Amino acid sequence: MLISRSKQRFLTLLTYAVLIGFSVYCLFPFLWMLATSIKPDAEIRTVNPTFWISAPTWKHFENVLHGSAFLTFFKNSVFISAVTTGASLIISIFAGYALSRFVRFRGVKLFGIAMLLSQMIPGVLLLIPLYLVMKNLSLINTYSSLILAYTTFTVPLCTFMMKGFFDSVPFEMEESAEIDGCSRVGIIFRILMPVSLPSLVATSLFAFLNAWNEFMFGFVFINDEEHRTLTPGISLFKGLYQTDWGSMMAASVMSVLPVVIIFVFLQKFLVEGMTAGAVKG
Amino acid sequence: MKPIELERPAKRAGKWRAVAMTLREKRTKRLAYLFVLPALLFFVLLNAYPLVTVLLDSFQFKNLMNKALSGFAGLTNYKEVVQNEYFRTALKNTAVWTILSVAGEYALGLLSALALNQQIKGRTLFRAIIIIPWVVPIVIAGMTWTWMLTPDYGIINLWLVKLGLLKEPYYWLGELNTALLTVVFVNVWRSFPFYTISLLAGLQSVSRDIVEAAAIDGAGVRRRFWYIVLPQLKTVSLTIVFIHIIWTAINFDFIWVMTEGGPLYSSETLPIMIYRYAMQDYNFGNASALASMMLGFMISGFILYYFFSVRKNRR
Amino acid sequence: MKAKKRLFGLAAVLVLSTALAACGGKNNEPAASPTGNAEPAQEAVTLDFWAALDPSTDEGKTIQAKVKEFDDSHAEINVNLQVITYDVMHDKLVAAINAGDAPDLSWGLSEWFGEFNKMDALQDLTPYLDKWADKSNIYPNVLEALTVEGKTKALPNYLGIRALLYHEDILKAAGITAPPKTWDELLAMAPVIKEKTGKEAFGIAGAGVRSPQELIMYLAQNDVTLADKQADGKYKNTWQDNPDQLAKAAEVFKFYQDLLAAKAIQADAKTWGWEEEDQNFVLAQYAMVVNGPWIEGRSSENPDGMKDVKVAAPVYKNKPATFMEIAPLYVYKSENPDQAWEFASYLLGAEYQKAVNPGKNPRSDLVNDSGWGKDFMALASQGVVFPAVSLGGITKAMEDSLARAMLKNDKPEDVAKWLSQAINDSLSKTGELSGS
Repeated sequence: MLISRSKQRFLTLLTYAVLIGFSVYCLFPFLWMLATSIKPDAEIRTVNPTFWISAPTWKHFENVLHGSAFLTFFKNSVFISAVTTGASLIISIFAGYALSRFVRFRGVKLFGIAMLLSQMIPGVLLLIPLYLVMKNLSLINTYSSLILAYTTFTVPLCTFMMKGFFDSVPFEMEESAEIDGCSRVGIIFRILMPVSLPSLVATSLFAFLNAWNEFMFGFVFINDEEHRTLTPGISLFKGLYQTDWGSMMAASVMSVLPVVIIFVFLQKFLVEGMTAGAVKG
Repeated sequence: MKPIELERPAKRAGKWRAVAMTLREKRTKRLAYLFVLPALLFFVLLNAYPLVTVLLDSFQFKNLMNKALSGFAGLTNYKEVVQNEYFRTALKNTAVWTILSVAGEYALGLLSALALNQQIKGRTLFRAIIIIPWVVPIVIAGMTWTWMLTPDYGIINLWLVKLGLLKEPYYWLGELNTALLTVVFVNVWRSFPFYTISLLAGLQSVSRDIVEAAAIDGAGVRRRFWYIVLPQLKTVSLTIVFIHIIWTAINFDFIWVMTEGGPLYSSETLPIMIYRYAMQDYNFGNASALASMMLGFMISGFILYYFFSVRKNRR
Repeated sequence: MKAKKRLFGLAAVLVLSTALAACGGKNNEPAASPTGNAEPAQEAVTLDFWAALDPSTDEGKTIQAKVKEFDDSHAEINVNLQVITYDVMHDKLVAAINAGDAPDLSWGLSEWFGEFNKMDALQDLTPYLDKWADKSNIYPNVLEALTVEGKTKALPNYLGIRALLYHEDILKAAGITAPPKTWDELLAMAPVIKEKTGKEAFGIAGAGVRSPQELIMYLAQNDVTLADKQADGKYKNTWQDNPDQLAKAAEVFKFYQDLLAAKAIQADAKTWGWEEEDQNFVLAQYAMVVNGPWIEGRSSENPDGMKDVKVAAPVYKNKPATFMEIAPLYVYKSENPDQAWEFASYLLGAEYQKAVNPGKNPRSDLVNDSGWGKDFMALASQGVVFPAVSLGGITKAMEDSLARAMLKNDKPEDVAKWLSQAINDSLSKTGELSGS
């Protein structure tokens, strides 16, 4: 094989050591959240913090589920993130295709530059202008305001990801379809989409995650509990003069876990999808 | 798929071909513009319009607290921003923050991707674990880390002291010389998984045949890594580094949640400064000037990079 | 393939329908209404009310119940209560005020009073107050602090008067029977407490929103003010015109440095925010702090650390003084000022205040006999407040001045001079500087 057996063994050990190191680094804060969420109040903020829980309790989870509008927030986040994902995906499939196949037109090239430019605007700066835009469209305190904003934020990267993928699909495949009389839209949906499932999943996961985790606009655009999303909802546990850490961590765990599970199940696609786009970038 | 035989320009012969091609090209062009239209609409409404407002405002007096002063300001806003006592600090911090974050993320991303690319048991589990930080919302991650890092009731300090690595608890986020570095550390924690996934994707597309051929030719592990694997990662690496430089430079949430730019501006970056101008001083003129400047810096940086790489490619 | 196509179609429909729904909302709305809730006069009026209550506490639950009570008993007024934390309340209000979209009423911090007034967002409540039978029951100095040019522009929601809180057991262990009265006594006690108990004597907030509140108190205890109203109705910091005042201000920064040098406070306290200050006190990590009545609420979480806590008057140098936080109830300009007042006067009424703010209400007829309330309210007469100017730049400068004194170790005189200049610069930027 490629290397000697003893070297191979050493490499394997090293790999495990590195991966275990990474796991500790990655999991540490998450485990701390988990531990805190099942600690009784008296054990949460002490001079001797530990992972050891002497009297575990579900109190915080109960409080979050029954004493707050967590489920509403959760539902809203699911809806907004799902629609954002769908919208960004459709928009960026077409835009990405154009960027991949039609860069010879100056307008398309300019569009690509504009997309890149839009990434350079600090979100902080958009806060008030976007609030005014939403106000003028009478969209404050609606799902649409967040869907519009999040779609705008995610479309550029999704477009680049899709472009990267389309670049890796040989043009000949399309030509033969074209000769068969397929329209462009037909080509995209009948020829390209089926072979690009992993890329689509990777792109959707990205869009979903962005919408799921966004905080600032979620807070500024939404005024009532019926429309509020998860991250702003969770921060409500940061009370007036003290933070209800137990409940906040319980809510965080419940909002992070579903996404973790989705990612764990779809991670194969994630890497495969990126592979397609990554080669040519 | 039914073949529709209305017209097939490619099949037309002779002198008609050129005319047909341009007709076709025109149609394609229309189609291309149609394809980018939805994305463009979003861009115009929610990015370009605010952006133009910002550029215009940067030349106006616009202070919500002082409405008496308004109108064309020339370069006054820019002058005021540059003369701000902490402008240089913020500029330097932005550079430090961006470079260290991206470098750290890349190093960890590459290391973890290489490890995950080995044929070992439990790969899927490790891959799942490494994705976790990326999934945790910044606000929650920031608050949790802040708590864990406090000197008196934070677990990290307690453990470091118990392990004998520290003599007494250290206030990582409260000291002038460590605040920014600590936020960088946490930012690296949260962002490196994106690199891991991208680089892992890149690694998996490295042809095994070439690597094996090189091995037969006697290239060692290190040589193979430097001369075969790494060059193959060049495109992915450039793309993710490029996009993360932008994202990190304009990032606001992490620093704001953890230090609010303090203590004494030691972790103040340009986006934090923009926020202060806009939401604490209500001076939108100054905020817009600073934002325009930041945009200018980034664009000129990328233009420089572009020309440099084009020139290099031509050689 | 077909299924996938359908999925895309579904998503497209979804996007479209939400967009359409939004358009529908737009059409139904009368153009003049900023909140989208105005309806013909004979129908019920909806008041938007943003409160930073904590729904997980008893207090929060009481507030929600009381607001609902009002809602139920007033057929012509609906109250739309929204919980929004102080963390983001400010940004949300600024964005909403700028878009002409402010709620009808909201909680808020006193630090925002000058700003909102400058933005011309606040309702003049003087005519309503003058007709109100309960006006005389509100502390006059509190109302005075919310009055600009003869017009009362906000109401007191609750008071956060600061007192000296101390862990009696720590002082006893150090052989000290009574808490200190002056700065010097405190500094003298510090080494004793440190030596006998290993704990620091005192705690401060060196950063964050709490730090300017403490600084203005220490300045007042040495008989200096941040900015005074001048003959032209505008404000100015006069330290640089008056060597005596400058020296006194410098003494305050010297006091902060002395606390650090004498190890009367933990080294980290120079950058503590309110959370660290409160948390460490609750955990009995140090002996004394100047803090508000809300600390009492921590007993449930840390019963051990809290059981020996007692209340006394804050330490001082020249003149007994404390910070009186007046958390305002802001009433914004809207189309329904009468209904907003109706609700506001209910929130200020004896019944609501007794139920919600037993130990921190702004009414002189409701002094609580038991618990902490009495000790805190006894200090109401010596309370100082922020001047009614835009404070954004000023509080930031105050925070910076503490960092200069404690992190950079600048000379106290230089820090005082710098702060004086920074305050006037900030006043000048907002057009509130006297003589400009």
